[in-house]
Amino acid sequence: MSKPRLATLVLGGCTGCHLALLDTHEALLDILEAADLVHSPLTEGDEIPECDIMLVEGAVANEHDEEIVKRAREQAKVLVAMGACATLGGIGGLRNLQTVGEVFETAYGDEAGPGDESLPRLFRRVRPISALVPVDVEVPGCAPNTETLVEVIGAALNGQLWKAPRRNLCHECGRRHETMLDHSSAFVADAVYSVMELENIDPDRCFLEQGVVCMGPMTREGCTARCTAANVPCRGCMGPSRPEFEQGGKMVDALAAVLPAGAIMYLDDLIGTGYRFSTAVSVLPGLWGEGGEEQ
Amino acid sequence: MPLGVYVSRCRGATDVLDLDALAKRFDDRAAVTRVVEDFFDTDVQRQLAADIAELGLDALVLGGHSADHYERALSGKLLREALADAGVNRNRVIFANLLEQVARPHADDPEGAVNKASAILEVAYLRATMSPAAEMTAVEPVRHVLVLGQNSEAVVAAQRLLQLGFKVTIADRGITPTAPSEARLVATTAFVSGHPNTTVLHDASVQDASGWAGDFDVRLATAGGDTTVKVGGILLAEPHNVDWVSELRGHFRVDVDDDGRARSIHPAAHPSETVDPGIMVVPLRTSSSQLREKVSAADSAVLALTMLLSQPELHRFAEISAVDEGLCGGCASCVKTCAFGACYIDAETGLSHVDARRCRGCGKCVVSCPVGARDIVNSPHHYLVEAIKSFARSDVKGSKVLGFLCGGCGYPAGDRAGEAAIETGRSYPASFLPIRIPCGGRLDTLYVLEALQEGFDGVMVFRCREGHCHNLIGNLDMDRRMNLLRTVLRSRRLDDSRLRIVDISPNEGETFIDAVNDIFAQVGELHDLKGGAR
Repeated sequence: MSKPRLATLVLGGCTGCHLALLDTHEALLDILEAADLVHSPLTEGDEIPECDIMLVEGAVANEHDEEIVKRAREQAKVLVAMGACATLGGIGGLRNLQTVGEVFETAYGDEAGPGDESLPRLFRRVRPISALVPVDVEVPGCAPNTETLVEVIGAALNGQLWKAPRRNLCHECGRRHETMLDHSSAFVADAVYSVMELENIDPDRCFLEQGVVCMGPMTREGCTARCTAANVPCRGCMGPSRPEFEQGGKMVDALAAVLPAGAIMYLDDLIGTGYRFSTAVSVLPGLWGEGGEEQ
Repeated sequence: MPLGVYVSRCRGATDVLDLDALAKRFDDRAAVTRVVEDFFDTDVQRQLAADIAELGLDALVLGGHSADHYERALSGKLLREALADAGVNRNRVIFANLLEQVARPHADDPEGAVNKASAILEVAYLRATMSPAAEMTAVEPVRHVLVLGQNSEAVVAAQRLLQLGFKVTIADRGITPTAPSEARLVATTAFVSGHPNTTVLHDASVQDASGWAGDFDVRLATAGGDTTVKVGGILLAEPHNVDWVSELRGHFRVDVDDDGRARSIHPAAHPSETVDPGIMVVPLRTSSSQLREKVSAADSAVLALTMLLSQPELHRFAEISAVDEGLCGGCASCVKTCAFGACYIDAETGLSHVDARRCRGCGKCVVSCPVGARDIVNSPHHYLVEAIKSFARSDVKGSKVLGFLCGGCGYPAGDRAGEAAIETGRSYPASFLPIRIPCGGRLDTLYVLEALQEGFDGVMVFRCREGHCHNLIGNLDMDRRMNLLRTVLRSRRLDDSRLRIVDISPNEGETFIDAVNDIFAQVGELHDLKGGAR
């Protein structure tokens, strides 16, 4: 019996998910023992072959991405959206808050414009791949946890579809709550700080209680809380626990009674904090009045 | 799920709406549709009961008077009880406001009124299909009353209650208790203070309270230490004493007037009942009141209390669903947002729980929960999202504005605006579409985004004025959320003045009309500027 055929692909992404795949170390050897790698960014040839499992990294940002992801869907039995860009639009989705002209201006200056035929036509908005094709498995994270990738592939090889956990990060974050548990209408901190502003951050205590905005409550667990364990607040790369929820909107809803709202308002980048990875899947995924058309 | 749709002529007041055509819209979906004269008519209630029994209806849409009309008036309570007895869960009887917020304000725009009425009825239908049955707990009322205050009314009320067989605890605020405030009440005072079922707590203040009508626990601090009493009802004998009122407001929903005095649900028809069915007030009087007025005020409050506590059982409906343990990660956002201290993180599981005896059903924890681990029974999340979409689809003409009306002030003000329209001849466009939410604090940022994305030109929130929120600070939490949301809207290059927050009191119908007209004038201009935003 021939081995299952495994393929991987990069659309609008940074190849970080592929690096996570390589980071699986010996587990990767087991995967390659169990399956044939028939296509990847490192293999020769553009044609996407028929395969059993296709891991797609990156979001759909232009015509070329669209063509490839549709072809990948046709060729794959199980299509896996790998990482924050493929599942939520990711960092690149933040460009939805600019017009295409502004994006070109920023990226190319005078060198190229929206009508340039040497470049694939840029869509008005970055979208996750699920906006274009049916997706069988969504693996969150920027980049996904390596152990998770091994699980996802292992499950697919056994004919099962991996499901992401649904609780928020606080569940697996070991930091302790104190003032968050008080029945008092007082905020848990008197100001909002960036990590750099603080000389000491108690590594065992909830960031919010120390006045540091942490996206943990608004973010799906499953990353093993590696950032908060390293004394870095959650940036929300796993996306919201429920896809229909706005991660940035929920940040506002949840933190309005926790931290001084005025201070949150003057965060350098409220949108970049709340919607860093999920602008593209927001209810208002782009600019007002320019939401509908993708061309 | 068999569902009945009934529209009421309200004795002719809703005739502008072409009720037959309205009802017909639901013929293919509902098990029964009927146009009736008035839901308060005995014959109509018999018809409803017969339909419920014959067709096995388990949800009802009743289009007619404002929902508040059925919440606050005695006739409305009787209707609710009749429907509950007939077998329809309280939470699945949905009132569509076709009179106060449609027929009255839009009497001079029949086409607009008909379109708005059908939009509102569609949303009510959605709500009926999406509302869970509320879980009911039967409470055997404790025959013990806590009287807060030491005035003539308190003494008279205590005497009546004692003679009717109730235990009474009187708490005062340090007034000399032995000196009767009224010479003619010497005998009454002596009866009360000498009665074995009387407890007097001097110089007391409410430290903590929980529970509901029929079964309250109240902890009072006195000079001699703390005392906890278990009582069936609480009587505010001094509703003008803002100390008592503010202490109670930390634990219960209490409606207050501009001076911070506790207010009844209706000064004329229900002078003693408050928004919390277990808390009564002695009706407010002028300072020059005669003793006989004080006595009759006390009698009125005692009658309301004994009517409540003499029932063999009272029914308490759960307001909040249990926490979905598959979603809750124990972030404690709900703990910080709850003004009543009802949410807590269980030390063993690390997950959130709600103390039902402290929950007042404002819905703030539902909004603050970033994973949607719980929901509020009377305005579930999915219903609100679908209601916004349904209103957006409706064939109402012109610019559309969505109005979230808080149950405390915004919604009654909207009702009052209907009366004001008739009195003054001034009204507002029929393409203003209202959604009732229990409290401003129930407003999720998602709903505003959803409304704008669905094509509404503006979104309004009508909420209680500062210091008047039934849920203490639901209005302020909402303000914080909405003002932060403005940053999100501006990032989309959306003029955030499309989102308006309006402070209002329940009687300010004209303010309501002006505020709605104001946003319509503005969204018209925004349209022009953008060459049509949509």
